[in-house]
Amino acid sequence: MNSTKLVRPLGEVVRREPLLPVLLVLLIVLAASYDGFATVDNFRNIAIQASPLVIAAVGMTFVIMTAGIDLSVGSMLFLAAAIETSKSIVGHSTTVVFVVVCAAGIGMGLINGLAVACTRVPALIVTLATMEVFRGAGGHITRQQSIDLPGNLRGIGTGSLLGVPNPVLLAIMIALAGALTFRRTVFGRYVQAVGSYEDAAVDAGLPVRGVLVGAYTLAGMLAAVASLAQTARLGAVQPSIGQGYELTVITAVVLGGTSLFGGRGSIAGTVLGALILTSVQTGLVFSSASPYVFDIVRGGVLLAAVLAAGARWRRIAHALGLTGRRVRSKASATAV
Amino acid sequence: MKSIGWAIIAAGAVALLTVSACTSSETPSGGTKTGSKHAVGVSFDLLNAIRQAEKSSIESAAKAAGYSVVFSVADQDAQKQASQIQDMIQTQKVSGLIVIAQDGKQITASASLAKARHVPFVAIDRAIADQQAVSFQITGDPVSDGRAVAAEFIDAATQQPLKVLELVGALTDQNAIGRRDGFNAAIKGQPNITLVSQVPTDWNPSQALDGTSNALQKDSSINAIYIPSDFLLPSVQSALTAAKRLEAIGNAKHVFTVTIDGDPNGCKAMRQKTLDADIATPIQDFGKQAIAATTSALDGKTISPRSVQAKGLMLNQANFASTQSQVWGCAG
Repeated sequence: MNSTKLVRPLGEVVRREPLLPVLLVLLIVLAASYDGFATVDNFRNIAIQASPLVIAAVGMTFVIMTAGIDLSVGSMLFLAAAIETSKSIVGHSTTVVFVVVCAAGIGMGLINGLAVACTRVPALIVTLATMEVFRGAGGHITRQQSIDLPGNLRGIGTGSLLGVPNPVLLAIMIALAGALTFRRTVFGRYVQAVGSYEDAAVDAGLPVRGVLVGAYTLAGMLAAVASLAQTARLGAVQPSIGQGYELTVITAVVLGGTSLFGGRGSIAGTVLGALILTSVQTGLVFSSASPYVFDIVRGGVLLAAVLAAGARWRRIAHALGLTGRRVRSKASATAV
Repeated sequence: MKSIGWAIIAAGAVALLTVSACTSSETPSGGTKTGSKHAVGVSFDLLNAIRQAEKSSIESAAKAAGYSVVFSVADQDAQKQASQIQDMIQTQKVSGLIVIAQDGKQITASASLAKARHVPFVAIDRAIADQQAVSFQITGDPVSDGRAVAAEFIDAATQQPLKVLELVGALTDQNAIGRRDGFNAAIKGQPNITLVSQVPTDWNPSQALDGTSNALQKDSSINAIYIPSDFLLPSVQSALTAAKRLEAIGNAKHVFTVTIDGDPNGCKAMRQKTLDADIATPIQDFGKQAIAATTSALDGKTISPRSVQAKGLMLNQANFASTQSQVWGCAG
């Protein structure tokens, strides 16, 4: 009886987050295979490395759940970093710099959101264009030079509070806030509704444009926050920061179970996706694998994780009668 | 509503093009090969600190020769670079081309187009696979640079055994491959040098940071790092700082580090004595020789040799005071 009480909630957790056992198995295999992997320092290292990705991916989760996409996240990260080290900003206090950078992120997200919501041009096109605009603006500010970050701005990436590294604390706070927003607020419900069936959302009188603008603005702000954490760790702003980052962010979100078609997603899944990607990267270094193998393994793990997580979608498909197979037990209709 | 959106975007694009055309300071003079002033088209694969230095080198040599410069950046897109070069040849009618190829093989088509239009095609920094249509080529010698790095490691290994972390640049970049291969071949069989970890970075500072952190976590006995470009140096130093191992030469915790390029990051670290040696790329030579070759080609002279590999200049702590003035990144 006691074991049933334990197994049922565990089973529910696994059903809701099929990536969790994938991550646990991955960590166990790596820990068993390589000395030094299963140490507090190494797990701390993985958490720190995953933090900027988690932060940016939480924002991207909202965008993708509206059935949109944001290809400009890497460029937003770079432009935010460029603004952080610009001559007009850098001499001010840490608080002022952070507020300005976050405001810049909100501004960039607002541009994306308004363009997508008001012109109805596909998000892929809009954010492809803004990706170039933001990167160009960042390059203009930095003159494509590497700029050292002042000491007072590095604490967010290198400091710690009660032994927990600052980037990790920031990522945890943002992930919790993101999950609460998604599950407990009207905005979160509207995001799901808009992503599930936009026309129905319009007919129901939902503020669809406002939701879209909100999602992209949130993504912009979180890209800027991720930039603060990442550049603080790097100690400098360099011209290639954020290049290709959008792919990594989208991978973490999709790996975490958020549907590219919108309407279904999970902040917890996004966090797990980011942790899996980072753990794989760390594991490859521990394995001393040839550099040519890195991309193959990363892709392979992504494929395996998506296939493993795919079992959940099959149950949902069965429950909806899409496959003609009967399902013995009830399956939830949403993935959150 | 959707058509209005597209109209807005189209109008915005036209406005941006108009503004950029009106404010551009790099417009061709419209000179012809027999005209009074030539315009030289410069096409780069990307723009970063070292490319800025190469651009400045070309611009100052071009100015001295009386040429104007038309400049474009391909943002690491080989197709985009091909289109830009085609535009320079056919529309902007440049008299010569100086190119840093994004892809040494794909650029052959652009070189052939230039040859067909009698436009001298000069390649710098990155070698072109097929030399038939290339008027002149000056590049670094990445294999030699890698060997020069290895020589510093071999010398340092006489003092203590070295356990080496090797960062590798983009695996599609021949410079990265050459620097890796030159180094690996030279240290092979060296009794006091052990290559512990080889981490690909894709020339990405974040990957370099994470890769270095992971390697130091995996093996805390790593006491030497080969960084294939100064561009990645800040990331490595951040990882060392986080591991409490960024110390000046002479400190027991100092990690022996050698890089390549000679950019301002490298020079600063040399001054701070946190970097042991830097193999400086001769950027100034690239610009001067490229413009000189373009002039020779426009004058109908034979260029010989057609391909030059410029070896890097060794800058280490022993010769820093006397040599730094020759390094492009140490100026100012």
